[in-house]
Amino acid sequence: MIKKTSFFKRPGVQTLLASILCAILGIILGYIILLFMNSEHAAEGMWAILKNFFKFSNNPNTLMYYLGSTLVKAVPVILCAEAILFAYKAGLFNIGAAGQYTVGIIACLYTSLALGWNWFLCLLAAIVAGAVWGLLAGFFKAFFNVNEVIAGIMLNWIGLYICNIVIGGEKCMNQTKSETFDLFATNPSALLPGFMKEVFGNNQYTTIAIPITIVVAIIILVVLNKTTFGYELKATGHNKDAAKYAGMNAKRNIILTLVISGAISGMAAGLYYLTSIEHYQISSSVPGMGFTGIAVAFLGGLHPLGTIFAGLFVEYITLGGQYLNTNYYNPQVADLMIAIIIYLCGFVLFFKTLINRPGKVKVNANAEPEKTEKKEV
Amino acid sequence: MEDYVIEMLHITKEFPGIIANDDITLQLKRGEIHALLGENGAGKSTLMSVLFGLYTPEKGVIKKDGKEVKINNPNDATDLGIGMVHQHFMLVDIFTVLDNIILGSEPSKMGFLTKAEARKKVMDLSNKYNLKVDPDALIEDITVGMQQRVEILKMLYRDNDILIFDEPTAVLTPQEIDELMKIMKDLAAEGKSILFITHKLNEIMEVADRCSILRKGKYIGTVDVANTTKEELSSMMVGRNVKFAVDKDEAKPGKEVLKVENVSVKSKIHANDSVHNVSFNVRAGEIVCIAGIDGNGQTEFVGALTGLDDISSGKITLCGEDITKKSIRYKNTHGMSHIPEDRHKHGLVLDYTVEENMILQRYFEPAFQSGGIIKKKEMRKYSDRLTEAFDVRSGQGAQSIVRSMSGGNQQKAIVAREMDREHELLIAVQPTRGLDVGAIEYIHKEIVKERDNGKAILLVSLELDEVMNLSDRILVMYEGEIVGEVDPKKTTLQELGLYMSGAKRDNKEEA
Amino acid sequence: MKKKLLSVLLVATMVATMFVGCGSSNEGSNESGSTNEGSGDAAGEYKIAMITDSGDITDMSFNQTTYEASKAFAEANNVDFQYYKPTENSDEARTASFQNAVADGYNVIVVPGYLFAGMIAQVANANPDVKIIALDCGEGDFTEAGMTELPENVCSFTYQEELAGYMAGYAAVKEGYTKLGFLGGMAVPAVIRYGYGFVQGCNDAAVELGNASDVQVNYVYGGQFYGDDAITAQMDTWYSNGTEVVFACGGGIYTSAGEAAKKVDGKVIGVDVDQAGTIDGLYGDGVCVTSAMKGLSATVDATLTDLFAGNWSNYAGKIENLGIVSGTDPALNYVQLPTETWSMTNFTVDDYNTLVSQLYDGTITVDNSIDAMPKTEITVKEFDNIH
Repeated sequence: MIKKTSFFKRPGVQTLLASILCAILGIILGYIILLFMNSEHAAEGMWAILKNFFKFSNNPNTLMYYLGSTLVKAVPVILCAEAILFAYKAGLFNIGAAGQYTVGIIACLYTSLALGWNWFLCLLAAIVAGAVWGLLAGFFKAFFNVNEVIAGIMLNWIGLYICNIVIGGEKCMNQTKSETFDLFATNPSALLPGFMKEVFGNNQYTTIAIPITIVVAIIILVVLNKTTFGYELKATGHNKDAAKYAGMNAKRNIILTLVISGAISGMAAGLYYLTSIEHYQISSSVPGMGFTGIAVAFLGGLHPLGTIFAGLFVEYITLGGQYLNTNYYNPQVADLMIAIIIYLCGFVLFFKTLINRPGKVKVNANAEPEKTEKKEV
Repeated sequence: MEDYVIEMLHITKEFPGIIANDDITLQLKRGEIHALLGENGAGKSTLMSVLFGLYTPEKGVIKKDGKEVKINNPNDATDLGIGMVHQHFMLVDIFTVLDNIILGSEPSKMGFLTKAEARKKVMDLSNKYNLKVDPDALIEDITVGMQQRVEILKMLYRDNDILIFDEPTAVLTPQEIDELMKIMKDLAAEGKSILFITHKLNEIMEVADRCSILRKGKYIGTVDVANTTKEELSSMMVGRNVKFAVDKDEAKPGKEVLKVENVSVKSKIHANDSVHNVSFNVRAGEIVCIAGIDGNGQTEFVGALTGLDDISSGKITLCGEDITKKSIRYKNTHGMSHIPEDRHKHGLVLDYTVEENMILQRYFEPAFQSGGIIKKKEMRKYSDRLTEAFDVRSGQGAQSIVRSMSGGNQQKAIVAREMDREHELLIAVQPTRGLDVGAIEYIHKEIVKERDNGKAILLVSLELDEVMNLSDRILVMYEGEIVGEVDPKKTTLQELGLYMSGAKRDNKEEA
Repeated sequence: MKKKLLSVLLVATMVATMFVGCGSSNEGSNESGSTNEGSGDAAGEYKIAMITDSGDITDMSFNQTTYEASKAFAEANNVDFQYYKPTENSDEARTASFQNAVADGYNVIVVPGYLFAGMIAQVANANPDVKIIALDCGEGDFTEAGMTELPENVCSFTYQEELAGYMAGYAAVKEGYTKLGFLGGMAVPAVIRYGYGFVQGCNDAAVELGNASDVQVNYVYGGQFYGDDAITAQMDTWYSNGTEVVFACGGGIYTSAGEAAKKVDGKVIGVDVDQAGTIDGLYGDGVCVTSAMKGLSATVDATLTDLFAGNWSNYAGKIENLGIVSGTDPALNYVQLPTETWSMTNFTVDDYNTLVSQLYDGTITVDNSIDAMPKTEITVKEFDNIH
């Protein structure tokens, strides 16, 4: 019994529980919405969303194809979440990930469509662009104490409008379709190299973006937990006064953190748009990736690997909306439901506190637990 | 039959792995000041949390006026007339005193605030109990002592008649403590019952009628203060005899380690300097203490010395090297150790483990990293050695999260870290703040040992006992200036008090 | 603590099993349902699905017309119908919707808009049993998507929008308007054809009336298929500078023209379908002068009817360019002005019939090229795209 309790008391397990609870609660809430809209078909609708691409189960090829597509689409969400998580660990709320993602789009699409570079250079351009955007926010934070959230939001919009101007030009955008040219047709060398396409039902979009994402997550995990740099970042994030007291260079760390976070966001854009699965269209709002990433980071328990699963879940549910029968529910219901599920994901910390409430006691715990423990055993 | 307002009978509260309260009985008489004494981690806070309904005890009952009551949450406690002044005040900085007092029970008619009545009631209470406050001042503009009065008025405004003070003197100056003691006596005389949580024996001797002692979760006993002594109380608290005087030999000062010349620091709030033209030196093998009432520039001076704050003019020399403009990292690695004033703000990363905190200033040294990867084994070994040498206790050893440790053990961890690092100068600011006598005794002994090992020690303390017992030389700081230097063996508390309050100052050499 | 955790877990498990329970039982019924239907419906039976393009089925334009026509046909013939909305505006998402529809058993897919060429290129050959009826996908669109020849299971229809535009412009000028405007959506071929046809119609009518020097047409593309503040502001400027009527040509963009018109008693010309009801309903009676219609609804209905009658071979693999098919009965044509809601007085229904017959017999020809603005005697003032 004692062992069990200690298992549940582990912070990792608690986070996992909280995340699962959040996801389940989101699904229940979604179900309730469906009940309100059309009670007769609610269970069927919910099942359609959860069953998702497994509806193609009698056609393994198609099934794998759409599994592949889900992975491809999960890549930018996961990476944006990783970027946010990384900054968050250092005590910075990088809401500017959305803007860094946007400039990543500019860089990779301009270099690939207008300049005709190959994929590696295009991806590098996206990473550098995101890093520069992060650097701007970091610079203002470090030297002028401008809150990174404010700077981030401003830079988001600046990035968006630059993107609309640069990418909206004739070099990148098919003016009749109002979307960027297809890389398959214009510059195949800029397409990311494929990855296990045969396994994923010859999905032309499954690329090395998928393994790269996992590698990036692992690198973040290692950097945060094993390196002196991660040690400094987390110390700064937990207590910046103590970090200063310890002689850590706060300005450098703030800038470096946001640069890296920005680079990851920019990479997210590169790894998505260089598959050509989606073309950029002139938009009047900042791409939502960076914002969904916030929810995903929290749902993932702010753990680099947990974030991968959270991202997959969110993308799975997001794509599940299209399987709702439109005779009973209009597609906006699916959007609403998914928005609510994602929104609830942000509540992970709240649920964790809820589960953890009795844990407060630890503060008052006696300094000699070993003896009492022995007594119990 | 005694007249008890609140009785907590045979309370037992267990947490996984720990029995925080083991069959504890506490009976509070009407109109008495009852002290609750115990070391950090003895179970005082848990017991109070039970009284406030934050925890449900496994065993035991709570009675109010002889009748059993169930307290499931803090609101139940408030309904029973129980109020508490927390160690860390629960005030809204940007509200006025009056707004803070009525916050949560605002008088209103039809949804509109009717502050006039509230103001009258507050002013009446303020006069009755001699708790003078300016109802329209903002909390952020008044002193800590004043803020505490606001907390007390908050309880009185809610007609509480059982008042709990959780270590109320920890944040106060000696004068403010005296005033608080008087206020508590007045309140008791008016029929309020007071539960006074502390580990300062002097205060108990001064104000309390009775005292209950807890040790390691167990109830040790209740004594009438009039029939006991400090020594008896402290041995009940720690389970052995404690020496109050610090054993130490004559200092044998050696070469000059720290030299401070004409240091000034600009104030962040007003136009004047918060530290003005301070000069002194500290030699190897001596303990120099900066005494003074809180807020007279000690914090700013230490900030300038260590690099946490900017210095506006002057020169600081450490072991013959000018370090005025050097970075914190440079100072850390060139002979300066620093036990900071606020262990939570500066000294520790509370969410890090013990071992991670132990290498806070050393993680980049080749001993603890190679190629940017932290050597976890070395870190663990190092941490284990320090915790053993300095008797730092924690639940899961090196892997305990520091936040979960008691204040005393947190402080010991800092002391261990700072003393083990290579250094010539130890700056110890309030090293025993908020600690129990056992821990204080220990840390004092360690500091003296440091001195005898030939280190230079600069002690900054607000506790007069500590200043008198520990130091070899005392510098008194008043309004940012050193106003006098005294020899602890030749001075008295009274003389020190005169310096500290600005009533006396040495003639300056240059004047 | 333990208890609390246990209870939380318990609830979670219960919920989980509840869902699995619902789901699995449902799956059973679903599958049995669909297989029943499958076996019940003979091979010749069809189920109709529609996929939306970037808009929704409430866009009062392309998607809505297609949706309503398909649905009406399905109901009349008592076959299953459902529409699918792709998750994004991309070929990949449209393809996913197609796969989804096929997995649901639909074998007639109606797709409105030139955006679908890419999707058709990806799925047509792999699904020979599924009939795809595309609207507005021209040869150019297919070529761009890498398809030189349409497979047997695909047919597509394009329209001579320039004729509809011409009729609207001609009618407006004949009605007496001299200050006109053209507000296109995005500059896609269909919209350009409407616009250039409109300009030609205005010009010819003015020449006939002899007031070519007085007639002026303002010409702009909004850059999107819906109205917004910026477009409304542009329209406000036009109307306040004397523009009397604006041809709002593209999806929901009529809202901007309508809002601006309402403030100064201006007029609007609708597009694609008879928008008189919609526009008058929103912005006041008489705001809608006429509408340049193309027979989406008729196309869908006719094609589906032929398909059900076993005449798919009429369409298989073809791209038909639809326009005027009758000089005597304008109601049969695929490009029209609405006669049921006729509101013009100087230009009457009879005048309209005459115009149609002249267009039919070649007395009047309309240039359908989209390369450059037609040369005119009237003044055409071109503005930069708003977005």
